[in-house]
Amino acid sequence: MLVAWRYRKRENSFIQSFDPRAWVIFYVCCLVSTLSFWDVRFLLPFLVIAMFVLLTSGVKWHEIRRAFLFIVGFVFFFAVLTFLTGRGGTEVYKQEHLIREFRASFSILGWTPVLKVTVERAFFAVSQLVRVTSIAVMTILIPYSLNPAYYGITFKGLGLPDKFAYAMDLTMRFIPTFGRDFQLTMDAQRARGYELEKISGGIIAQVRKLGPIFVPVTIHAIIGSEDIIDAMDLRAFGVGPRTWLDVLTYQTRDRVLIAVGVLILSASIVIGFMGFGAFWVPEYLIKIFS
Amino acid sequence: MDKKFTNVLISLVVVLALFAVVMFVLGAKAPAEGALFNFSVDQASVVSRFVFVVIGIAIAFGVYFATQANKAWEIGTREVVWMAIGAALYAVFSWLFNGTVFVVPSLSQVSLRPAIAIPMFFGFAFGPVVGFFTGAVGNMFGDALTGFGLSPQWSIGNGLIGFVSGMWMLFSDKKKSMDTVLYVSGALAVITALLYFLNRTQANMLFFDPANNIFGDSQISLFAGIAILIGFALVFAVRYFFKNEDVATAVTWGMLGNIVGLLFASLSDMVINGFSLPAAIVGEFLPAAGPNLIFAAILVPMLVVAYTATRRQSGR
Repeated sequence: MLVAWRYRKRENSFIQSFDPRAWVIFYVCCLVSTLSFWDVRFLLPFLVIAMFVLLTSGVKWHEIRRAFLFIVGFVFFFAVLTFLTGRGGTEVYKQEHLIREFRASFSILGWTPVLKVTVERAFFAVSQLVRVTSIAVMTILIPYSLNPAYYGITFKGLGLPDKFAYAMDLTMRFIPTFGRDFQLTMDAQRARGYELEKISGGIIAQVRKLGPIFVPVTIHAIIGSEDIIDAMDLRAFGVGPRTWLDVLTYQTRDRVLIAVGVLILSASIVIGFMGFGAFWVPEYLIKIFS
Repeated sequence: MDKKFTNVLISLVVVLALFAVVMFVLGAKAPAEGALFNFSVDQASVVSRFVFVVIGIAIAFGVYFATQANKAWEIGTREVVWMAIGAALYAVFSWLFNGTVFVVPSLSQVSLRPAIAIPMFFGFAFGPVVGFFTGAVGNMFGDALTGFGLSPQWSIGNGLIGFVSGMWMLFSDKKKSMDTVLYVSGALAVITALLYFLNRTQANMLFFDPANNIFGDSQISLFAGIAILIGFALVFAVRYFFKNEDVATAVTWGMLGNIVGLLFASLSDMVINGFSLPAAIVGEFLPAAGPNLIFAAILVPMLVVAYTATRRQSGR
């Protein structure tokens, strides 16, 4: 049995009022553009777009709460760590300007924890937070806002051949199902005394102990596929050119959305080529603390 | 049909030529003071990522073109479903085992990525096309599930892992091709390991341990450095001590796929992120490829044996 993503029709949703193809193109344009910047001034507009899309998506908080808290919490956790340690950012800045240094009043085995707050670290952490949050927010929304009935025709409409479009469709449908299967297998093995959390031994022994999870989930999926293959064969899949049950047509608003997406992307690439968008720290802050 | 392929090939060549001009002619010169466009590779990283996607696909396409008549390239209903299953499984496994959901024990700076056995197994069992799709699309969705951005060149690298794993189907003499593969992979493993011994101070860029303040900058450990040799030895042992020919084929070709795919991805980082050769090979390739080989040698045989048994049982 297939488990579905939590899509439902939402009347007041901004993104669901578009053609799914237009929405996917816009998403990819935003994603690639965000990735080409480290400058927080250029990243903020993308956060604004992401927030706008989130707030107008019509997805209720109780629907998205778990996924949202998990991902945003994770992103936040890493940004804080980046800030505390200042590692990770050393590739983009060479010189640091100290704001304040906190020195712990105790020491552990001769090591005194020191927290150096520098302008660069703080800005790098903020940039990272903005950058990853905007990508994550847009990505979480996809399964909530894309109608599963349109997966196949969407990918076909984006230019994939029939068979690959259908394979993408099935992939997206299988992911939540296999997530559930994994959990079931895990519980079943636990009931038999298997403990993933307590894997011990050398590396080879550790890897071997993953078998009881890995093999059943994979083989179960392959056996289960026979039913789907039969069903598709009975409906003469792949015999001739495929027609799709739903037909997607671009409206004016979809064309506008695609145009905006492409405009954002080309602007970002041009800005990148002109040498802007790299990591940025305000001049006056550097002057104050240098 | 042929006309279509020629068109695709021509457009690929044109795109590649264009990027080659931008990157190597314009990128080689230091930008003049106050110049409008700065084509140094650093700035063009988004574009160059996609160039490597095109190159990766072109490699797969080239192999397909050379052996078009082979039965391994046929895509029917079964292949379509297997592609989807492989990609979904790879996405789910890499999401669950990436350290945020289940913390898989890691050993001496090596983070374990057991999911890599999936594209290798699917490539071996169902052919290069299924393998490629499993690796590339699965990696893409796996990244999306975590909520992090995308590195398309790594997705294609993962795709090549599955692709090469399925290439055994293209050769009529299995034994001979398997031996060749073993020699080639052995040579590559030794060369890259040698690079490690020449650059022992290189940081392990794939090892993150925030709890201990390590962000891909601690010096690579001896184990991570020579894991590829350990992996090769394991594969070698599986090849010669187990009499099962299926297992041997799967493991040997999976090994070559792993080396080729990850070499592709880490070498592309030389252009994209401006890494030096030691940084790409020792800092990225070895800590990823070495442990992957250990999985190839252990998990892939388990899957192959289980799959053969199921097939015998169900008679398909």
